[in-house]
Amino acid sequence: MRLLFIDNDGAGFADYVHVDDGMTVEQFFNEKMPGRKAEDFLIRVNRQPVARDHVLQKGDRITVTPTKIEGAA
Amino acid sequence: MEDIKNTIRIADRIRDVLLRLKHSRYLELARQLSNLGRELQDLTAVSKKMTVALAHDWLSAANDCCQRVDRLLSDIRYSLSRIQQFAEAPRKSVPTLAALVEDLDQVQEEFGNFELDNERDAISVSTEPISLEDVDLGPFRIQLEIGKLAELYYASPYRVIALEPNPASTDQSVTHPHVNGERLCEGDGSAAIQAALEEGRLCDFFTIVRSILNTYCPDSPYVPLADWDGETCHECGYSMSSDNSYCCSFCENSVCEECSTYCRSCEEIICLGCAAKCEVCEEPVCPKCARVKCTECETVCCESCIDEGLCPDCKEERKAEDEQQREQVAGTSESRVSSDSQADSKDVRLAG
Repeated sequence: MRLLFIDNDGAGFADYVHVDDGMTVEQFFNEKMPGRKAEDFLIRVNRQPVARDHVLQKGDRITVTPTKIEGAA
Repeated sequence: MEDIKNTIRIADRIRDVLLRLKHSRYLELARQLSNLGRELQDLTAVSKKMTVALAHDWLSAANDCCQRVDRLLSDIRYSLSRIQQFAEAPRKSVPTLAALVEDLDQVQEEFGNFELDNERDAISVSTEPISLEDVDLGPFRIQLEIGKLAELYYASPYRVIALEPNPASTDQSVTHPHVNGERLCEGDGSAAIQAALEEGRLCDFFTIVRSILNTYCPDSPYVPLADWDGETCHECGYSMSSDNSYCCSFCENSVCEECSTYCRSCEEIICLGCAAKCEVCEEPVCPKCARVKCTECETVCCESCIDEGLCPDCKEERKAEDEQQREQVAGTSESRVSSDSQADSKDVRLAG
């Protein structure tokens, strides 16, 4: 199924991705952000906070934003 | 109802500006392409000059051409990256009014507040109080100036304002390690911020800025947190923590380790500005001890170098003079003794 994935980590791209039906938010995160901890991110589905076992639906909008981003001078 | 109307009005305004931004994106792309064209023409011209230079064995001229090519290639690389950035832009469509309204609603939910300043044409959110490594920086307002969104590629359209400022003691305009003069240095968040603003994802924009404010990067702050409550060296202006500062016992200014020393006579700490120099051993002395001078030549001397009120050179001279005097006195005594004994002999002879 097709989802809109907005990754605010790094370049901050927003693009459509295809995932298996019945995928949960946790599974989606682990696939798209391997090696990262979900606690370090703000994850929203259709602009709402959701539980890790929330099942994604076709057309969902998922945003992942790091809670810590290094600035500079 | 009024709130909903306001939200729709703001969303409509933002949409207008994003359309203008799209237009300015195309203008900037055209400008960058024109720049690239000029740079390629310059490259062609240099190439022709190089051919002529080589035909005449003018190696120095060929070398100049090489340097020119090197500079042009750097400029061209930069132009290409800029062009690519803008050429990708048409894929990003301006969000619908409904999407923008939803986004503004999400801002309200995420931040619990969202203010509209009609005078400044800006929307703002406030963060929770921010504390980094036990330094309380207070809450910040992230103020996005809607009209300036259209100038995103030339100037930053937002400000980060400290609401309960606790600025660095060495620079009042630094209210956060990564904020100077209400401008955030975005660091790793730069690309994501630009992408969020281009696409009208305002909640993402505010969230990313908040994440940067909640993170301390010790490698590149305007002022390190370790020096936040520190001082500025009075001599060189270096920013130092209170633990690493020295107080000059003469002028009472704070100085850094590099700008401090101690008087070799009284061992008090002094700054390099106050320090005088023993003119004999060239070691530093404080202004008070520098009043000690040789009574003969008035050379400034430290305690180690002055002896009975004299500098070593004058002491030597005095010693030499004393020696000479002693010799003279000795010589006089001998001749007196000699003439006395001659007189005695004469007396004896006369008596005999």
